[in-house]
Amino acid sequence: MPAAKDTSAELMSAYLDAELAADDAAAFEEQLAHDPDAQSEFEQLRKVVSLVSSLPEVQAPPDFYEKVSKRVRRRQLFASEGMWGLVSLPFQVLSIIVILTVAALYMMAQLEQQPTAIERETVVLPAAPGSAPAEGGPTAIRP
Amino acid sequence: MATAVSGQQPLVREEPESTPAQRKEATSTEERRAADLRDRRLVRRLRQGDQRAFEELVRLYQNRIFGLMLRMIGNRQEAEDLAQEVFITLHRAIGQYRGEGRFYTWLYRIATNTCKNRIKYLRGRNFHRSVPVEDTPEAHDPGEGGPAVRLQGQVAGPEAMAEGTRLQSAIQRELAQLDPEHRLLIILRDIQGLSYQEILGITGLQEGTLKSRLHRARIALKDRLAPYLE
Repeated sequence: MPAAKDTSAELMSAYLDAELAADDAAAFEEQLAHDPDAQSEFEQLRKVVSLVSSLPEVQAPPDFYEKVSKRVRRRQLFASEGMWGLVSLPFQVLSIIVILTVAALYMMAQLEQQPTAIERETVVLPAAPGSAPAEGGPTAIRP
Repeated sequence: MATAVSGQQPLVREEPESTPAQRKEATSTEERRAADLRDRRLVRRLRQGDQRAFEELVRLYQNRIFGLMLRMIGNRQEAEDLAQEVFITLHRAIGQYRGEGRFYTWLYRIATNTCKNRIKYLRGRNFHRSVPVEDTPEAHDPGEGGPAVRLQGQVAGPEAMAEGTRLQSAIQRELAQLDPEHRLLIILRDIQGLSYQEILGITGLQEGTLKSRLHRARIALKDRLAPYLE
């Protein structure tokens, strides 16, 4: 029986798959012929292999290639253009317009604030001696 | 069986119930050579940037790679994503394929490595298979030549068909419970019908290791399927 166990472990599957050399196959058959337990196990194993082999073949989805191709193109775009490859051209243009608009608005706001600052600076200028301005009144600008 | 073992005739020659794996393996050497030649041409064209060659390669191998992933992972969406990943890797790494050995052995190596990595990742996230393979209608879509063999085809009548479907589901369920290494060998050998030499090329195992590991995998599956076979 130990010999049969060894046979099972080493040779049974290979024999089932016809992967044994002729001599080894003949030796295995000889051993199997004298071992009813091994024969029974061999039969069960063959049945299982036959069942597993009979599982239906699986089909990939019909649009499989299209999906692969899309992912490949996306990766190529990403590799060649960096982060910009991820966004479409209209989105890029829109982004630039938004950035420029915000920048322009900011600059305009700054320009509007500048005259006020000049006025304030003018207010703190010291008046000429002998011509003290009225309290709270406008500052006279010297030429 | 007893007659066959009695020494009158060798078992292999007398065996009337050859498995689909054995039948697939019986594909002529000429056909294999032609397939290798075709693959080599496609690879050469792909290296030159021909995207139609890539499309041909994908369409040639998509069912086998997707089937491998689906049987290994057990989830259709995850399997599709993984199979796509394999072909993206193929596209990116085609320059590294030196033409030594058969192309599809190289492709299968990419597939098995991708699959093993994902299994490790999914284990870490405690992933559960959400859609059993046999429960999806797509699983039964026939291909160009239709499925090689169906369990339902072996028997007639609605009861027998229901029994066949039940067995298929049981096989897939129990297959999914095996150790990934064992599962891979059973899928490659018994479902996809690859030869030992091809499996050795894909897995990098020694021949003795392959034989004993495949045998252990089958024994484990047999034990798990015992309640369904009685």
